[in-house]
Amino acid sequence: MQAATLARRFGSAAFARRSALGWIAPALLALALVFPWLAGEFYVRLAIEALLLGAIALSVDILLGCAGLLSLGQAMYFGLSAYLTALCYLHVTQSFWLVAAIVALAVAAVAAVLGAVAIRAKGVYFALITFGAAEIAGKIVHNTRAIGGSDGLIGIPVPSIALPGFDIALRDNLTFYYVVLLAISLVFLGVTRILATPFGSVLAAIRDNASRVPYLGYNPFWYKFLAYLLAAEVAAVGGLFYPLLRGFVGPDLFGFEVSTQSVVMALVGGVGTLIGPLVGGVVITFLQSVLGSFTERHLLLLGVIFILFVRFLPGGLFGLLRRGPAP
Amino acid sequence: MIAVRGLTKSFGALRAVSDLDFEARAGGVTSIIGPNGAGKSTVFNLIAGTLRPDAGSVDFGGRDVTGLPPHRLAQLGIARSFQISNLFFGLTAHENVRLAAQSRAPRRRFLAPIRRETALAARAHAILAEFGLAELATEPAANLAHGDQRRLEIALCMATEPRVLLLDEPTQGMSPAETLAVDHLIKSLAGRVTVLMIEHDVDLVMGISDHVIVLHQGRKLFEGTPAEVQGSSAVRAAYLGADPGAGLGADHAAA
Repeated sequence: MQAATLARRFGSAAFARRSALGWIAPALLALALVFPWLAGEFYVRLAIEALLLGAIALSVDILLGCAGLLSLGQAMYFGLSAYLTALCYLHVTQSFWLVAAIVALAVAAVAAVLGAVAIRAKGVYFALITFGAAEIAGKIVHNTRAIGGSDGLIGIPVPSIALPGFDIALRDNLTFYYVVLLAISLVFLGVTRILATPFGSVLAAIRDNASRVPYLGYNPFWYKFLAYLLAAEVAAVGGLFYPLLRGFVGPDLFGFEVSTQSVVMALVGGVGTLIGPLVGGVVITFLQSVLGSFTERHLLLLGVIFILFVRFLPGGLFGLLRRGPAP
Repeated sequence: MIAVRGLTKSFGALRAVSDLDFEARAGGVTSIIGPNGAGKSTVFNLIAGTLRPDAGSVDFGGRDVTGLPPHRLAQLGIARSFQISNLFFGLTAHENVRLAAQSRAPRRRFLAPIRRETALAARAHAILAEFGLAELATEPAANLAHGDQRRLEIALCMATEPRVLLLDEPTQGMSPAETLAVDHLIKSLAGRVTVLMIEHDVDLVMGISDHVIVLHQGRKLFEGTPAEVQGSSAVRAAYLGADPGAGLGADHAAA
């Protein structure tokens, strides 16, 4: 009797905490839906960029927040995806779905090879390998004339998304915004769903205490490996739309700056919350844009923000809402 | 159930375990005792796959399992507890046990949310109840009292449905009352599972073991029933040699 009462009390407390997070995602989505009516075209395009960069931050969170792996090279999958997308639209096909399939497969192949190597490395070496691989990829792209070298690729055509019965023209800013919002929302829901499974429970255990996991009969390698593939694909979704926003891609998309910025976004939003890094993506992107109009030294400010959050608010903005153990 | 043959492990010049043979019989409680530095923990690490032996073999139910990684051994049915509670401190007690039980749960649908795995949740609750932790189900493991954490440690092992349970100092840091509770617990497990235990509390060891192995400087000094061990002059000399003034009954040498 006593036990049942206790369980119910704690259970409902946990439920209240979860539902506090549960209405925030729909509230943010509602805000995002009306945003184009509140802001001008410049800010709508900035919001698209924020959502796409937010995908890299979400990707970082899948690894850091859910499996305890710090990647300093998630921009590589963003850049790889962006370049492949650009090259396909320039030379191969105008079919959005075919390009998406090509990108998904190519990213999976690269992530499988690099992941198999990087995950065997312990602690800081995982960060160093992912960082190194992204730098190498960026340098290769930078030095390959055939794909534009340091100039990148320009004049990327903007396709339409073919659906049964009608086409969605991405050339229209408002349409593009809603398509990206839908895509990122679906990715978020998908990731949330995957991490709520028994597979996600093992990942949470790896983050909490990796040393004990093997003694319960789980091979941590496969769980980390699948998380790594998932994270790479999430970052790739950002890269799938980015060339259409900008009309060009450059080797800096692979760069350390993009990778570290996504780590800062994840941290500011709240590592391990999934929704936090998307919000962090929006906050940092808008902040960079606003600060960038005042000063050249906005990277310095990014560093200061990073230090302040690590020091005073390590749980990020959403860490304030989520006290206690992870649900 | 578990048989080691010629087990040897060195760390640099130190021979931690040297040509060790012993057997833990199915369904019994076998204990390994010995002064500090005798190599007890190394033996556990060799059996559970934490370390690879330099020489020798580990046989589990007729199968050579020498050098297999910990997750393979756990899948085969060897569970180990840790001397320092090694739990998922950020997860609740229930989540801890559920995770362990999940390793044996049949996988029906890959994308089914864990909330809907009601049979798994019920099993975890049943295990918590058996270990007297039902009321702490929703507490993070980090908030549990030391004695409760020690019991959760064993609950995690049992949730993986092992055939052999390796207990590394289950009563480490416990009060006499808590030690007594663990004593009853291990007695209740005996028969269901083969227990191999390292323990410093000699009274506990002598009370519940069927077979006792005495290690000294990485070698087997003596083995036999608790009565035989207590009667052995070689064992007494080893303990007295390690710490003059301490005897086997009042276990200061090993504490």
